[in-house]
Amino acid sequence: MKKISVAVSTILILAAFLSCSRQDDSVYKKSMPLMDTIVSITVVADSKEIAEKAMAEAFGKIDRFGNRVNFYSEKSELSEINRNAGIRRTTVSPETLDVIEKAVHASEKSRGAFDPTIGPIVKLWNFADKKMPSDKEIKHALPLVNYRDIIVDTNASTVLLRKEGMMLDLGGIAKGYAADMAVDTLLKEGIRSGLVSVAGDIRTFGLKPDSKPWTIGIKNPRQTGTKDEIIAKARLTDTAISTSGDYERYFISDGKRYHHLLDPKTGFPAGTCRSVSIVSDKAADTDAFSTAVFVLGPDRGMKLATDLGMEALIIDINGNMHSTDGLKEKLSFEKGP
Amino acid sequence: MRRALSNTTIADRILFFILIVVSCAGMFYSRDALSQGTDVVIEVGGKSVYATSLDANREIPVEGTHGRAIVEIRDGKIRMKEARCDNHICMKQGWITQGTIVCLPNSIVVITGGGLNKDVDAVTG
Repeated sequence: MKKISVAVSTILILAAFLSCSRQDDSVYKKSMPLMDTIVSITVVADSKEIAEKAMAEAFGKIDRFGNRVNFYSEKSELSEINRNAGIRRTTVSPETLDVIEKAVHASEKSRGAFDPTIGPIVKLWNFADKKMPSDKEIKHALPLVNYRDIIVDTNASTVLLRKEGMMLDLGGIAKGYAADMAVDTLLKEGIRSGLVSVAGDIRTFGLKPDSKPWTIGIKNPRQTGTKDEIIAKARLTDTAISTSGDYERYFISDGKRYHHLLDPKTGFPAGTCRSVSIVSDKAADTDAFSTAVFVLGPDRGMKLATDLGMEALIIDINGNMHSTDGLKEKLSFEKGP
Repeated sequence: MRRALSNTTIADRILFFILIVVSCAGMFYSRDALSQGTDVVIEVGGKSVYATSLDANREIPVEGTHGRAIVEIRDGKIRMKEARCDNHICMKQGWITQGTIVCLPNSIVVITGGGLNKDVDAVTG
């Protein structure tokens, strides 16, 4: 009987302890509301103190950068550039200059499918109140959209928009750039593994404590339930991923979906994709080129991604999935869109 | 079984009883911590202050850094009903069933659906 009681006791004690067991203590995660979105940082560290110090530095960096490039804040460097459009050059911080140069680079590579001077068009659309601009308003604003009219003087650290009324909107690249900045900061703080997610723009580095890559879920662009549905999982390390989708800010009018991914050439939402995920080294690139590829559509978009050596998963407007071979190896699919 | 029990002392039986209670409590604690119905998390200043589901209609008062805000759940949707901030971007966002509502001045973040998936480390899209 004693043997039985010892065995039963051991099982029960183990059950009690297992039911309260915690996850690996070396992974620390924190989220903050910054840049009008959620910024989450996950790090692998030896102690909570090391993790919190590094994360505080990274959050601080993102916060300062976010304030400089805030399209809606009068105090931002970006707003100063926009106020000075067609009038005078604006001296900006190295980070603002750098992100604008990267935005111009993405515009050139995508031949204007991504264009940060889309600000005057963005101002016309009101997705929250389901208001769309008239054709006349769009036509009036379109001549102000042209990335070739951004004059950057790297040595003097100045930016000028050539025409009065032009407006830079860095919403298509700033969050990815912020994720890159945060990862650089974490690395300087001695963190060797983690991920930074600024909204859906994610940069990973190093491996998880179990020596596996980070698992990033890609949202189903046409989920039916109220819960977040994942259409695919990507296993990534030392790379970034961004997704642009027509389901984030949108409204439906007369059966047609109007979303925030606007084609700089027409001023209206691009209409041939549901979502585009791009994987590359830097989140600034994945952020900008996920928008560019979305605007270009499945065929021209896939060609652009391939030419640039980036991986892409495109879900077209009919729900068909197109993926580069390199990304297929990193993906596992959950269900169809 | 009856013979086995007859061979136990009162101390053995008390020990069994305590262990069974502890095990069951542990199981319930664990279920509560990983509640499947918890699909809403409200954070203030990066700290989780409220976890609930979208199942029941209710109004949740949340103390932000600039005063009290009201988060409302109704018919499986959630919104920021009231908030003391200048631009009310959070309130204008309206009802959502997934994603986040951020009231930056109040450091309040409402997360539902997204960000709560335990199979992945992060979600893009």
